[in-house]
Amino acid sequence: MTLEIIVMVKQVPDKQEVVIDPVTMNLNRSLTRNVTNSADENALEAALRIKDKTGANVTVVSMGPPQAETTMIECLARGADRAILASDRFFGGADTYPTGLTIAATISKIGKFDIIFAGEESSDSSTGHVGPGVAEFLDIDQITYASNVEYEDGHVIADRELEGGTEIVKVPLPVLVTVLLNSNTPRMQTLRRKIDATRKGIEMWDHDKIGLQPEWVGVRGSPTIVRKMNPIREKERAAKKIEVRNIKELVDELYEKNILKLEEE
Amino acid sequence: MSEFDAIVVGAGPAGASAAIRLASSKKNVLLVEKSDPPGSKNVSGGVLWGNGLSAIIPDWEKSAPVERFVDTKSVAFLTQDSKIGIDFSSKKLEQKKTGYTVLRARLDQWLARKAKEAGAMVINGITVEKLHIENGKVTGIEQDGDVITSDTVILCEGANPRVAINSGLRKPLTDHDVAIGVKEVIKLPENTINERFHLKSGAGFACEYVLGYLKGGVEAGGFLYTNKDSISVGIVVSMSHLRKNDATHTYDMIEEFTAHPYIAPLLQGGEMQEYSAHMVQEGGFSSIPKLYGNGYMIAGDSAGFSFSNGLVLQGMNYAIDSGIAAADTFAAAYDKKNFTENALKSYQDRLEGSYVMKDMRSFKGIGDVTWSPFVHKKIPAMLESLMMGLFMEEGRPKKHMTRMLLDALSQNDMLRVSSLMDAYRMMRRM
Repeated sequence: MTLEIIVMVKQVPDKQEVVIDPVTMNLNRSLTRNVTNSADENALEAALRIKDKTGANVTVVSMGPPQAETTMIECLARGADRAILASDRFFGGADTYPTGLTIAATISKIGKFDIIFAGEESSDSSTGHVGPGVAEFLDIDQITYASNVEYEDGHVIADRELEGGTEIVKVPLPVLVTVLLNSNTPRMQTLRRKIDATRKGIEMWDHDKIGLQPEWVGVRGSPTIVRKMNPIREKERAAKKIEVRNIKELVDELYEKNILKLEEE
Repeated sequence: MSEFDAIVVGAGPAGASAAIRLASSKKNVLLVEKSDPPGSKNVSGGVLWGNGLSAIIPDWEKSAPVERFVDTKSVAFLTQDSKIGIDFSSKKLEQKKTGYTVLRARLDQWLARKAKEAGAMVINGITVEKLHIENGKVTGIEQDGDVITSDTVILCEGANPRVAINSGLRKPLTDHDVAIGVKEVIKLPENTINERFHLKSGAGFACEYVLGYLKGGVEAGGFLYTNKDSISVGIVVSMSHLRKNDATHTYDMIEEFTAHPYIAPLLQGGEMQEYSAHMVQEGGFSSIPKLYGNGYMIAGDSAGFSFSNGLVLQGMNYAIDSGIAAADTFAAAYDKKNFTENALKSYQDRLEGSYVMKDMRSFKGIGDVTWSPFVHKKIPAMLESLMMGLFMEEGRPKKHMTRMLLDALSQNDMLRVSSLMDAYRMMRRM
């Protein structure tokens, strides 16, 4: 039996170019370049390494607008076999709950799955919710923050980095694994693979095809309400030269300037 | 049987134009671009002169991401304290819309999208390593050990034609062939730009400067173009001049330019959005390589098609037209299923018949003039003396104007035979 691996990926704005719209306080996505979420590239690489050893079938799944196609093609060009983009205007404005639901429903619709990979979190919202959420929706086990993921005889073995040590876990299939950022080196895309990926193309699934009601997904299915956004104002930082003769003078000076404060205050 | 009819390397104006033309005539074409998205490694920016795109995208100005049409074109000489310039503002420029300021990051992306819509396969983020050559014939490209085959490869790599050089189709670049362009994009509100430059909504200002005052006496040109809500400003300095002046740095030079008393107020209050630098083709006619051979053609900057006579900097127009000429040559060769050097020879003929090669020929050797100390030192200083003579009112009787001109010329050492020779040479080449 061929192992069926699903990799969840997300297209995110390039974090080096992120601009916050001063009026709406949202990310201005129109100005930024879109890239594949870095941790998802590590997730895909973990999947492809298992594919290299076992001949597994790798399907990438994403939810996003049609322009996420470039990310999907990139995943195919790195070695995935199939790419499905859940794309529908009803999916817009989703928080992590309906996003997890949409991805889980898409995976169910695909049918068989043995291992689901996701990045530990996305660089644009950093919640780390969606991977574990999908595991819950599908009611399967999960390994979070994993590295060195191996497949062995019906089980996944992975390292989990903990404070003060590493936990090595072995979990039977089916299992969802969220992969640590930078835990491996994603393989390059080559021209040959990119051409083949472009020819192969991706599948776009809407809510109907996946079998979701419009009111379950997107902004309507989202329990989060953003009441207000506060921008972080950059503090004025001024470097000043303070002439002191000893430590006491330095402490006094800093205390006077309100840089050092006493505990009880 | 080749995998593609044609492969185009580089998705700038030349490559995208070639790909659009080829795909529009149902050719199976691959357009490969190293930057992702296209245009993100580009610095030019730029005035797109002419209407070459209309041949492949009718009404292109309506949908292309152009910034402003140029209705004021200027040329100015800057000295330490002065600016002496000619402004040409004209209703005629507005009606003809002969030039548009553009930001290449946007334009190139749009062109690549048009190529895709026309049916070309567009692949970004891949750097082609070299041409695949079998028995003296180019039969495809190589990347990461793979060979992608095609009947013909059209090289449109831009100012730094690595593939053409690596494959021995072009001599390595020398200091004489290239200049360095350094550019800043300064963000300013649209209205502020309109007020500062006296522009109507949608109209733009483009100016090239002769910088006659830089430290160390380096010869450099400056440019300033208004975009919708930003200004592109920068310098171009020839590589050989930079080489001779080891202590000068391009970042000092652009600062000297933007701090000039008549440039700084134009940029005041703006926020720097981008800072970039790139090679600029400068070699002119003598640097044009052999443009075609068995299974390949070279177009755009890669072919040395760029032009500067000190009054105007052009390149994108030549790129577009040479890209189209290469595509049309391919189409003719395709009908006969013959892609040999002989079959592609008509590329040269097409270019010779168009303004592309005619311009390159008529302005042969212009680089020696535009980069000469005569243009960069003597003319600005002489003009300054002349203007001071004309407009300074010191309560003394005025001299005759001819006398004033002669005085200004002699003060700046321009009545010598060598200077007259320089002037003659300049007139001839311009």
